[in-house]
Amino acid sequence: MKAVELKDVVKKFGKFKALDGITLSIERGESIALLGPNGAGKTTIVKLISGLLKPTKGEVKVFGKVPWKNYEVRRMMGIVSHNTFLYDDLTAYENLQFYCRLYDADEGRIDEVLEFFGLKSRKHDLVRNFSRGMKQRLSIARAILHDPLLLILDEPTAGLDIEGRRELMEYVAKVGREKTIIFTTHNVKEAEEICEKVAIICNGKLIHFGEIESDLEKVYLRAVGYEGT
Amino acid sequence: MKALEVAKKDLRIEFRTKGTLNLMILFALVTSMMFSVSIPMSLAEKVAPSLLWLVFIFVGMLGYSRAFLKEVETETLEGLKISPIAPTSVLIGKILYNLVLMILIEIIILPIFIGLFNLDVANPIMMLVAITIGNVGFVIVVSSLSILVIKSKMREMLLPVLIFPIVFPIITSTILAVRKSIVGNLEGILSPIALIVGFSIIMFVVACLTFEYAFSD
Repeated sequence: MKAVELKDVVKKFGKFKALDGITLSIERGESIALLGPNGAGKTTIVKLISGLLKPTKGEVKVFGKVPWKNYEVRRMMGIVSHNTFLYDDLTAYENLQFYCRLYDADEGRIDEVLEFFGLKSRKHDLVRNFSRGMKQRLSIARAILHDPLLLILDEPTAGLDIEGRRELMEYVAKVGREKTIIFTTHNVKEAEEICEKVAIICNGKLIHFGEIESDLEKVYLRAVGYEGT
Repeated sequence: MKALEVAKKDLRIEFRTKGTLNLMILFALVTSMMFSVSIPMSLAEKVAPSLLWLVFIFVGMLGYSRAFLKEVETETLEGLKISPIAPTSVLIGKILYNLVLMILIEIIILPIFIGLFNLDVANPIMMLVAITIGNVGFVIVVSSLSILVIKSKMREMLLPVLIFPIVFPIITSTILAVRKSIVGNLEGILSPIALIVGFSIIMFVVACLTFEYAFSD
């Protein structure tokens, strides 16, 4: 069974076609970068995989299940996006405890992940008093709390300082071999650093899919039509 | 059980910030006092049930709809949507949270309202039962329908337009039951109460069956 499968997926918002016939399959344990310029459709793909959106046409499956119909398959996913999904008026610990209970995860892991992301000393502070970078680190802690099989990182380094970015890359490198990772970015260097495969998306279409090679930047610029400009 | 976690989380935030509760209490106090100074005491017994419900409707409309609205404002609604929790559990959690707010408002406002209007309630227990059952029905309707309007810029106008026709049977039946309990004429009081209970159960079942569509994008 594949970790993620998209078959001829079309997603429309009104008359606007955000995705146009995307077919993509990701094996278990693979790490794949969704690379594309702003507005290419990367986040729409992430939302379809996470069950936040239904496809207009086509089929989306995660571990053989349809994510927007099956709530239990969401237990296997951890999602980090631009949005932290954190409650400002709860402490760091209370936020993680709440999500821990929604995911039926072991509450013993809360201290472990807080320590890993250097937030243990601030665990009883309200999230509203955290900096953007600290919130993003806590958001990553929230996403990995239940030890998901599929980790979806939707431009996770946005708002992170150098230290936070290093910790995230360290974590991804550590768990990379045992988890399936989907990493959306428009930064070629980040894609090269984390992933084995790349899917280049542009204007809602899959332009290129394959192993990451040394000339990724050239491939990317050619795919999105920037070459020579 | 996950519904309880949602309710507990909302209550923890509310008791910490007191944003919604303070607003509801203040609004209920102001409207109750305005009614009490503008209505002659000789009419109090006749109009008090309707005015009391007017207070609860305004306060409820203001407060109960905020349960989902806050999740939109804090951008946490998607966090619930990506979690392994059934939409009906989210709805039940929000209803439970609103029920706690409702009980607190009742505890604070009812004695003040009775005092301001100098009401001599013949059957206070039945009055409390009628108001509570009516409010439970009202909470169910507002909590369920507020998800439909949270993304609209016109939500403050849309919500009453959507809600009033639906809660009309609850309002009229509760006013009737409260009036009967104030004057002590309990004959036939069970039929409006049964109507509220039946209507609330139907609304709850319909909300659970349709909430998934409203909750998803």
